[in-house]
Amino acid sequence: MGNIESTAAALNLVALYAAAGVIFAILFLLFGITRIDNGAKGAGLGFRLLILPGLIALWPLMLIRWLSGGQPHG
Amino acid sequence: MAATYKPVLWNAHKRIYDTILIAGIVAYLAIFIAVGYATADSANTSLEILTISALGACAFFMLHIVLAIGPLARLSPKFLPLLYNRRHLGVALFVVAASHAIFGTIWYHGYGVINPIVSLFVSNPRYDAIGAFPFESLGVIALVILFLMAATSHDFWLNNLSPAVWKTLHMLIYPAYGSVVLHVLLGAASGHGGSPLYVWAVAAGFAIIVGLHITAGIAQSGRDAATRRNLDGDWIDAGTVADIPEKRARRITTPSGHQIAIFKYDGKVAAISNVCAHQMGPLAEGCIKDGLVTCPWHGWQYDPATGRSPAPYTEKVETFAVRVKDGRVFVAAKPNPKGAAATPAAIG
Repeated sequence: MGNIESTAAALNLVALYAAAGVIFAILFLLFGITRIDNGAKGAGLGFRLLILPGLIALWPLMLIRWLSGGQPHG
Repeated sequence: MAATYKPVLWNAHKRIYDTILIAGIVAYLAIFIAVGYATADSANTSLEILTISALGACAFFMLHIVLAIGPLARLSPKFLPLLYNRRHLGVALFVVAASHAIFGTIWYHGYGVINPIVSLFVSNPRYDAIGAFPFESLGVIALVILFLMAATSHDFWLNNLSPAVWKTLHMLIYPAYGSVVLHVLLGAASGHGGSPLYVWAVAAGFAIIVGLHITAGIAQSGRDAATRRNLDGDWIDAGTVADIPEKRARRITTPSGHQIAIFKYDGKVAAISNVCAHQMGPLAEGCIKDGLVTCPWHGWQYDPATGRSPAPYTEKVETFAVRVKDGRVFVAAKPNPKGAAATPAAIG
């Protein structure tokens, strides 16, 4: 039973991480992306939806890049 | 190579590629299920289990194709068209593998009182038993890697993770392959593989992938040795101008390991790094189109005199000083900074 509880707790942590990623991704797509990448200026909804899963998965990396001011690319 | 990102830079080639890809997946699944249904003991094999097996086998087959394309393209330029849209194949591979995982989890873990995903990890704790190993966990590892690769396949990620990090992330395909091989073998050992044929198919696939990589590695090292040039002061004798085809390049390797692409076009020669800024494609295997060096992999372009992509693009590669004397090309051993102009040498 302890195994079930610890596994469920670990999965809850993953879900929490993903939920934080969703919140970050929305804010990043609205306010951050064009500050760190000029190629995103004028890019459409399709492009933003396409990178959404990656933002949710790798949000700490992109948060660091956003907070560090980001060397604008492109 | 887009000033403003697009979801996909569609062209006729990509549409054909994707059409064949989707048709291939559908045909594979249909044939697998039809043959399985016709030959299996119907009392023990349901359509659901056959579908789960078909999706897993299809994903495994696609993984082999993904892994084979790189070495095949290094062995023969005939395979380069497969390389151009490999990322579409990778995303499709993830979708098929995820379908296998979802249906498998629902079928085997979805009807109990425990959360199916929790059940997936705790229902079999026998990590010390080969014959009953919880092979599902190895599939989960591979699926996570395939997800990360699919999710970061857009050029946005290449630019924002940096090419080095992006490349490292995508090299995880090899640990993913190892996990899948063990997933299949241990699944077969615990009675989920269905047929001993699976074991032989895995062994044959493994031998083909390893063999292709070794063959391509040997061929590449042979080409590197053949193109390696010795220093003559600060300059490298890169051979005769006449031997370079018009609008094509000769690749040479400096003693320090730099790979240089020397292009001949419009009565002059120019030298830039052989490594494309996009996915490190081999520029020397490309050609001059509209006055620009064009990468054979994804069509990224550079001015041969400056190493810069034409506006509005901003990618840059290193340039090398070049001169022509008595019909021979000499290239500076040390590169100029990326995007620094290096006057092409007139052939005379």
